Amino acid sequence: MKIGVFICHCGSNIAGTVDTAQVARTALEFPDVAFATDTMYACSEPGQEAIVQAIKDHGLDGVVVSSCTPLMHEPTFRRTVERAGLNRFMFEMANIREHVSWIGKDTEANTRKAAELTRMAVEKLRRNMPLFAKQFEVNKRVLVVGGGVAGIQAALDCADGGREVVLVERESTIGGKMAKLDKTFPTVDCSSCVLGPKMVDVAQHPKITVHALSEIEDVKGFVGNFEIAIRRKAAYVDWAKCTGCGLCMEKCPSRKSLDRFNEGVGTTTAINIPFPQAIPKKAVIDPAFCLKLTKDKCGVCAKICPTQAIDFKQQEALFTEQVGAVIAATGYDLFDISKYGEYGAGKLPDVITGLQYERLLSASGPTGGHVQRPSDGREPKTVVFVQCVGSRDKSVDRPYCSGFCCMYTAKQVILTRDHIPDSTSYVFYMDIRAPGKMYDEFTRRAMEEYGARYVRGRVAMIYPKGDKYVVRGADTLMGTQVEVEADLVVLAAGAEASQGAGKLAEKLRISYDKYGFFLESHPKLRPVETNTAGVYLAGSCQGPKDIPASVAQGSAAAAKVLALFSKDKLENDPMIAAVDIRRCVGCGKCIQVCPFKAIKEVDFRGEPKAEVIETVCQGCGLCTATCPQGAIQLAHFTDNQILAEVNALCLA
Amino acid sequence: MSGVNELRIVGFLCNWCSYGGADAAGVGRLAQPTDLRIIRMPCSGRINPLFVARTLLSGADGVLVSGCHPRDCHYAEGNFYARRRLEVFKRLLPTLGIDPGRFEYTWVSASEGQRWQTVVTTFTEQIHRLGPMPRFSPGEACVAVLAESGG
Amino acid sequence: MNVLSQLKEQIAATLPNLDLVIGWERGFDPLHHTPLFMRRPEDVERLVIDALCVHNLAVYLPGLKNKKVGVAVKGCDSRAVNQLAREGLIKRENVVVFGFPCDGAADLTKVRRQLGDISGVQSAALEGDLLRVVVDGKERETPLKDVLADKCLRCRYPNALTHDHFAGEPREARVQTDDYKDVVDFEALPLEARFAHWQQEMQRCIRCYACRNACPMCVCRDHCVAQSRDPHWVTQEDETREKWMFQIIHAMHLAGRCVECGECQRACPVDIPILALKRKLNKEIRELFDFEAGVDPQAVPPLLSFQVEEKNINERGW
Repeated sequence: MKIGVFICHCGSNIAGTVDTAQVARTALEFPDVAFATDTMYACSEPGQEAIVQAIKDHGLDGVVVSSCTPLMHEPTFRRTVERAGLNRFMFEMANIREHVSWIGKDTEANTRKAAELTRMAVEKLRRNMPLFAKQFEVNKRVLVVGGGVAGIQAALDCADGGREVVLVERESTIGGKMAKLDKTFPTVDCSSCVLGPKMVDVAQHPKITVHALSEIEDVKGFVGNFEIAIRRKAAYVDWAKCTGCGLCMEKCPSRKSLDRFNEGVGTTTAINIPFPQAIPKKAVIDPAFCLKLTKDKCGVCAKICPTQAIDFKQQEALFTEQVGAVIAATGYDLFDISKYGEYGAGKLPDVITGLQYERLLSASGPTGGHVQRPSDGREPKTVVFVQCVGSRDKSVDRPYCSGFCCMYTAKQVILTRDHIPDSTSYVFYMDIRAPGKMYDEFTRRAMEEYGARYVRGRVAMIYPKGDKYVVRGADTLMGTQVEVEADLVVLAAGAEASQGAGKLAEKLRISYDKYGFFLESHPKLRPVETNTAGVYLAGSCQGPKDIPASVAQGSAAAAKVLALFSKDKLENDPMIAAVDIRRCVGCGKCIQVCPFKAIKEVDFRGEPKAEVIETVCQGCGLCTATCPQGAIQLAHFTDNQILAEVNALCLA
Repeated sequence: MSGVNELRIVGFLCNWCSYGGADAAGVGRLAQPTDLRIIRMPCSGRINPLFVARTLLSGADGVLVSGCHPRDCHYAEGNFYARRRLEVFKRLLPTLGIDPGRFEYTWVSASEGQRWQTVVTTFTEQIHRLGPMPRFSPGEACVAVLAESGG
Repeated sequence: MNVLSQLKEQIAATLPNLDLVIGWERGFDPLHHTPLFMRRPEDVERLVIDALCVHNLAVYLPGLKNKKVGVAVKGCDSRAVNQLAREGLIKRENVVVFGFPCDGAADLTKVRRQLGDISGVQSAALEGDLLRVVVDGKERETPLKDVLADKCLRCRYPNALTHDHFAGEPREARVQTDDYKDVVDFEALPLEARFAHWQQEMQRCIRCYACRNACPMCVCRDHCVAQSRDPHWVTQEDETREKWMFQIIHAMHLAGRCVECGECQRACPVDIPILALKRKLNKEIRELFDFEAGVDPQAVPPLLSFQVEEKNINERGW
């Protein structure tokens, strides 16, 4: 083997504290090194040309560049050696800038260290093998999980880009949290007027299939070739027949059913279409409240349904969809306010969440848009808003800021005054976080034009007094205790990861943080990608987000999917594990630990053996560290390559 | 000659976090002792504890492993396995007659340049306190030993 | 009916359904029993069980994975059966396990220490608590307890933990808990003394790999890195370092898997006390993960699993 070694000066970045010429001379003594030189800027155009030229002139089989971190220029130099006709894996880099010249000024020690790191790279390279990517077909359909505004946006953008979309929604209608909002900040425009047309677009788009009342059961496969098992829950209504006329709702005698769409403010019928703009607009029976399903009585809906759509025997169904990419847009849930016992939350009827308040404000809500106390229907004159309930509070394990509560509270303050002109609003807050476009102006308006009294401090407790509620807290700016007698208390419940988010993450094999929010691939540079190829994130599943940010991410995720689908074939990364079938004893330890289910057991002449699914393997090497006899080796990071590096450093 | 007091310290670093953390320390020009040599690994889960054993036996005086913080593994779970395996190996060292302080494993993210500086500095000081790793003197011919054992 | 006759009966009755049954028989001299592979009914007559049945016969099972095999096991051996089945290295349903109460196995190194050179042994008899041998026409005797293997003195599982047949009545365990006093005592020595100990011991290693061959849990078999040297974990250099490296490899391959049958140490022709490394790992694995290999056939091997929050791993701050 003939190896060429290039020691980069990086101007004075390296040459300032490393004798690069000396390192090059030393490198000539390393085994298989046929050529070694120092170079001013290896990554520059002439620097790269010199490498190409040397490969040709000296017939080199591999190249070592000792320069900056490989995280910076490894891809650059791989392309360089490829240009000269070498396989791009016949290249190694020694990091003598970040790991040497920049962290010490002792030229002699640095020079020795640079030479040793170069030697290590040479020894590694001597054991490198040309590696080749494999090509495989892409299924150009995309699965969107979650039909909130982020998922809707992603689905529409993908569909408009010409790709088939499968949209899976857990509830019986898409729309998510945004559909429940009355108005949106900072424009105070009607939420459903903005969202409704988009929902209709989804319903009418020829490229979009909506599976409502459905959840992801299992995910198999890999980028370009996922197989998604989907479980559709029983609606007890044949949706193929249901026209959404709503006659059943009118006649249903079970009128005390939990109204999930209205966040439990008021009740609804056991057979129900959540709201008039629902997509799909289909009735669903709540089996917990239906008299037929609980007591085998009634059945009036079945009798009056004009299309005979009611089916009390309906079972849940399991079916699969083949897709090439997945966008997770599972949104968020509200923090359970009953964890704040001192606020009486969950016990006092007029201490409610911000989202419940949205339903009270909404013209399509249970009160027809008249703000009424849940307890007695009276119009509240004093409303207290409490911020950061389940946000920025380590005591309930929610240290993070939910981001949008300051803004929606300001909006609710404004709307309260619009609905009840003689009302007074108080807002207990920690800080006002309003960094968006027109956001700060908006909160100022709430304070200055709408006269809301903002009190900086936390609420200590809330307790009933007559038909009012005493809200006791601190005013940290005044340094005093404050007590307000409120008619209604609205808690700005924080956002938390959607229920079941962790389980979905495990099915998708993506990471999630300790709060259940999905982890993006890079917090700045890869915000909608995950570490599993072909799986993307949109909206609050990645962290609390307001509507504009969720929509932006939905579009961003769609752009990533469209870019992925712009190729007819995908290439895998050849740095993956491979099994030496002669050494494998079929013990399956690698299969057990593989985080990506990328290893399967196969039968080889009656003996079980491990086999790597090349397109699924992500190249972590956990299997290689697990196999006692070294039968499964991660290409480019084999045991022998790493041992050679160890020996280069230790035995030399 | 300067740097002659260097001891041999080898680091196995996860490519996705600590390797970048070491880079970040470099970018920040955070001065560090020169003893450490870093081997880049795809994941701490790739680190067979036997690499640590081999490195110590082959001539290193200290070995440092650094990966992503638990829950932050690029491959979701690699560092969880690594933590168990490396901990078990570290606990074997006293019985081997090797000071367990010669091997440490820790977690440093790509953004924790300062933390990396602290880790390297602290670990290097620790190894210098322990001094060079004792070595086996060359063995006698085993045939003689066999004869003597009568077994 | 004594245990041996009962065991023979059980084996004889089951043998027609099996390819073979593995037990012990008298070997080349009265102190060395050897494995017995029973295929025909008359083979069963040669079966013996006593304190000289030292081998862990489970070692043969992975190689006979697709055969119907019976095997006689001591309590410690049975843990290997459990662990092998747990790891999918044998099919438990293909194995018929014959258990019996074990009173402990002799350590021939200790016998030599007690009775001197026994290479010319003419007869050996276990009479009650005594081992009586005739060497070169001279009778010598020692209390059996003085020559029992260390593992037997701290035995908690004298009866097979898994079995399909059991001859005789289960006996009580000698001890209830293993305090790993040997490990603790060794680690109480100064660091230099521990290091010197291994230098002393390991330089005697002749690299015969009997330790590995006797180990029922060694699964690499023909692909052992010791000889294939691929991956190049050890070199062929005649250096104590390389011999020691192999022992560390073997110990780490057994981490969370070793059933402490002690076969590695028994098989060592130069008496290197290598079980100590595995004992140490077992002690730590019990403390860290509350796990003991081969005891609970359902338990997940600790190094093939993890907890997001580890209860017992206190990571060191910097």
